[in-house]
Amino acid sequence: MSPLWRDEIAIYLAPRKIALVRRARGLKPRVVAATELAIPTGTVGDVGPLFARLADALSESTWQGAAARAVVGDAWVRYGIVPWPAATRLDAAGRLTHARYVLGDAYGDALAEWAVTLADTPPGRPYVACAMPADLRSGLEDTLSQARLTLVSLQPQLVVAFNSWRHRLPADDTWFVNLDDGSLSAVHLSNGAWDRIHVARLSPDWSVELDRVLALARLTRAAGALGRLFVDAPACMRRDAAASDGVEWLEEGHGDGAQAHALAVLQRMYA
Amino acid sequence: MRRPCPIRLDFVAPVHQAPLAGVALCLAGLAAAVALGTAFDRELAERSRLDAALGARAQPHHRAPTPESLKSAAEAAAIERELSVPWTRLLAELESASHDTAAHVSLLAVEPDPAKRLVRITAEVRNLPDALAYLERLQKSAVLRYPMLESHERRKDDPEHPVRIKLSAEWRT
Repeated sequence: MSPLWRDEIAIYLAPRKIALVRRARGLKPRVVAATELAIPTGTVGDVGPLFARLADALSESTWQGAAARAVVGDAWVRYGIVPWPAATRLDAAGRLTHARYVLGDAYGDALAEWAVTLADTPPGRPYVACAMPADLRSGLEDTLSQARLTLVSLQPQLVVAFNSWRHRLPADDTWFVNLDDGSLSAVHLSNGAWDRIHVARLSPDWSVELDRVLALARLTRAAGALGRLFVDAPACMRRDAAASDGVEWLEEGHGDGAQAHALAVLQRMYA
Repeated sequence: MRRPCPIRLDFVAPVHQAPLAGVALCLAGLAAAVALGTAFDRELAERSRLDAALGARAQPHHRAPTPESLKSAAEAAAIERELSVPWTRLLAELESASHDTAAHVSLLAVEPDPAKRLVRITAEVRNLPDALAYLERLQKSAVLRYPMLESHERRKDDPEHPVRIKLSAEWRT
């Protein structure tokens, strides 16, 4: 392994599953190992079983001594669209404070201790803010350091999925929905940029949430326009909802269910 | 169909990335610099090669001088010195000087010494004042400089008892 081109470990974290992909870099990058692990006792509120399972997996030499890129499931993440202040010039710290205020207004004071980051957006345009529990990041860094892994990237699942599929999406009046492991994230596109975000915890009958998004799309679409709805979901969900009207499924192939979906998310990240 | 913009958002990595055009421009600049450096290096090598070839061609052939060549060189130098004597101007000036002194001077000999750029004149005059007048006339000459009376001797064996004088002077180039 070249010290200039260290191998990378991509890690997907969701409340009830972990996926790991090791990628050798160089002139011809390739996946050298991949696995997906279930966490039957995992919940959104308790990350203890998640990190215990992750630490156990990382004890194998296959998953050590590399740079780590982590993708965090949307169950832990909160998003917001922050308008660009009209009359005030804000520096980076001011924009972050403003974003915290907007997120706190939307989600309550519970987000006060969360880590917040902003999307890189040209000045004068609304920007995407994203929050996740601070202890999730610190716990992840602690776990990775024990396996000599350096965390070089930490992104929410919706951002990774959107960037992977954006080549298939129209720029205007489009909903992009990401479904996985108990969460639904939907983002609306206008002029090529995000202008609305909807995040929900999935009920066992997840199609109810999808119907809600469809209803939201119908209610909020521009007058006279027929917005399109693109959904990125595990194969099992696609099979169950094949008859849904107005939905364009993004994932192709014949995977055997949710187990393969997390790995696909990681591998698309490198595509 | 226009595509949506990517979302650059990361909790760890910096999200301010150089746009693709900037990266391409940077790579193009780098490639141009490398190409220019390579071309410059090639030209420099060519110049060195030409300099070396020119130096080898212009280098004189140093050969040890032989006795024959030394002799020839000495002869050539002597001939060159002989040829460098301005005979025409010298004789015309002496003739002019004799004429100016009312023909009281009889020139007996003129001996040039090319190595010292010196001319020795032997003449006879009736008396010493004529010799001094002749010397004074030569001192005004534009062809000679530092004329000196080296010796004078009255010839008792001659019925008219003339004075034989010997002069020397340098000639001007």
